Amino acid sequence: MARVKLDGVTKRYGDVMAVNDMNLDIEHGEFITLVGPSGCGKSTTMETVSGLTRPTEGKVYIGDREVTNLPPKDRGIAMVFQNIALFPHLDVYDNISFGLRLRDYEKEEIDRRVEKAASIVQLEGMLDRMPDEMSGGQRQRVAIARALVREPDVFLMDEPLANLDAKLRVTMRTELQRLHKELDTTILYVTHNQEEAMTMSDRIAVIDSGELQQIAPPLTCYNEPANLFVAGFIGSPAMNFIEGEVVQNGLETENFMIEFDPGKIDGVGVGDHLTMGIRPEDVHPVEKAGNLAHGSDTIEAWADVLEPMGDEIFVYLLLGEDVDTSMEAEGATSNELLMSVDPDSPIKEDDEIEVVIDRTQVHLFDTESGEAVTHGVASLATESTTPGSEAETDD
Amino acid sequence: MASETNTGEIKRGPIERWVAKAIKNPDRAYRSMFYTVTIFFLFTTLFPFYWLLVLALTPENRLYQANLLPAGFTPETFIRVFEVIPFHRYMFNSIFLALMTTAIVLLLASLAGYVFGRLDFPGKSIMMLLILAISYFPPAAFFLPLWRLFNGQIVPGIELYNTPGAMILPFSALFMPLSIFVLTTFYGQIPDGLEDAARVEGTTRLGALFRVIMPLSAPGVATAGVLTFIAVYNEFFFSFLMNNGQPGNWAPIVGGLLQLQRAGQFEATFSVMAAGSIIAVLPVAILVVIAQEKIVSGMTAGALKE
Repeated sequence: MARVKLDGVTKRYGDVMAVNDMNLDIEHGEFITLVGPSGCGKSTTMETVSGLTRPTEGKVYIGDREVTNLPPKDRGIAMVFQNIALFPHLDVYDNISFGLRLRDYEKEEIDRRVEKAASIVQLEGMLDRMPDEMSGGQRQRVAIARALVREPDVFLMDEPLANLDAKLRVTMRTELQRLHKELDTTILYVTHNQEEAMTMSDRIAVIDSGELQQIAPPLTCYNEPANLFVAGFIGSPAMNFIEGEVVQNGLETENFMIEFDPGKIDGVGVGDHLTMGIRPEDVHPVEKAGNLAHGSDTIEAWADVLEPMGDEIFVYLLLGEDVDTSMEAEGATSNELLMSVDPDSPIKEDDEIEVVIDRTQVHLFDTESGEAVTHGVASLATESTTPGSEAETDD
Repeated sequence: MASETNTGEIKRGPIERWVAKAIKNPDRAYRSMFYTVTIFFLFTTLFPFYWLLVLALTPENRLYQANLLPAGFTPETFIRVFEVIPFHRYMFNSIFLALMTTAIVLLLASLAGYVFGRLDFPGKSIMMLLILAISYFPPAAFFLPLWRLFNGQIVPGIELYNTPGAMILPFSALFMPLSIFVLTTFYGQIPDGLEDAARVEGTTRLGALFRVIMPLSAPGVATAGVLTFIAVYNEFFFSFLMNNGQPGNWAPIVGGLLQLQRAGQFEATFSVMAAGSIIAVLPVAILVVIAQEKIVSGMTAGALKE
């Protein structure tokens, strides 16, 4: 059984804190993705598991063993690297069998395993090629086969698809998922691509500035982000953030009001500053809002820019009456709102429209700390709206 | 004007005409300068060998009649070299010493090159400077202490004089720095990912060095090896002083050539010496011809890096 456990792992490079007090508990057979922006410490975290880097503090366990001070070769791991890292002087067979030959396996056993791994990644008949005679996808498959033959307890994959083109990346993604199903081993996967993280993982560990922000199944991260960072990082395009102040009957922002009863949320009182988060797909034009059980009041807006994506259109809205587009700075200011609508929507640029926010999907965060306060405010309604809706209210 | 030029051209001799053309077309001038210089260098380097050949082919008793051409033709002199003394043993000694030194230097310089090329630690540049400094020490500065050491005058019981160790040790120390520098540059260029991959696959750091980094730096290792081999093979100082010149005492070719000088009973036997010299040069000449391309590419690859 190959559980992986990080216990308070910290890695400092001089004054730079790469990983800060990382605690992870990964079950056997889980597919865990470490995701975060560049330089957030996710690769360093993985290196402490692989043994290529020794943590400054904390302990690493694989299975029941503490491996903090073991060299990589004694940890029962195999790794696929971002830059593929095939040995250029060895042919495919020698590359795949490198680790087995080091461990003095019988020739027949090596042949058997290499053939099996090659057939899993569909590399039959290419065993005598040199790496520089292969395409990027083929090389990546060799790298995966090299990890497979060792039959490791834990697979480590450090952005294995980052250097492939978009189409190949999607194909390899499916292949990796199929592999994971077949092999029943623990996989620790690092990526900065949240799409990969969402589609492949059992659980996602979102990391920022060397600290674990949230570890949860992908949909939980999406629907109930633990804080502003996770909310902004997971989901594409990013969630809208609008700052506001708690008043007697809800949250008042510069241009509109979201109604709820602040008294029903622990630790929130009138006058507190909260940031409202709402995903683009939960903002609707008022004509489409009829089937919303818990819509907000209508909000006046002005369609600034349209981005047709084919299956949907992103509409960049400016809120309020006297908006001056030329003065508007980039980023999440309080009078910008991104909405996604159906591709057949009649909205044109510079249209004045009215939109409604789905209150079951409103996330509230503490503006200061960034921590989530609540997800969905419909059930926290004041007396006028229907109580007992399906909205989640945990924080 | 026009008529003057016409008549002037008729008057010019061949050299003047050549100069006139060269002025119009400077490439001609550069090319002829290149050939002049090249021929000059070829002459100064190759003429001594030619002169050795002339001496070797001229019979011993007609040496003073030899001019630019040999006075007679006695190729059997080349065989006499091996008859009057065991010259093959001297050659074996030389090649053995050179190979052993090369092996030791490559092994140790690889370790040093790995550390200097791939790891960061305080004092790295100072240590590299120190190593560079050692390579500029005059060998004579080491001679007396080493001679006393190898004769058991410092540590009783250690007597390396007249053994291969007495030469291999100072050779290794003197020729190591160059190899360290060459290998540092090469090993530093191998991507970290490959070493990481090897370590995850099951090697130690040392294993990664010998199984991945070294094979991938083959041109650099070949350069360092060939340069060390040639340097040791050509070395005179310790080769001459750290043994008594007897073939059984590991005297290299230097000892052999000096023995040849005394091959005749009463006179210096220049023919045999010349023949011996030519034979002695052959292994290195062949090695250089074979490895030349690798050495050049190795040196320039290193040069481009830093």
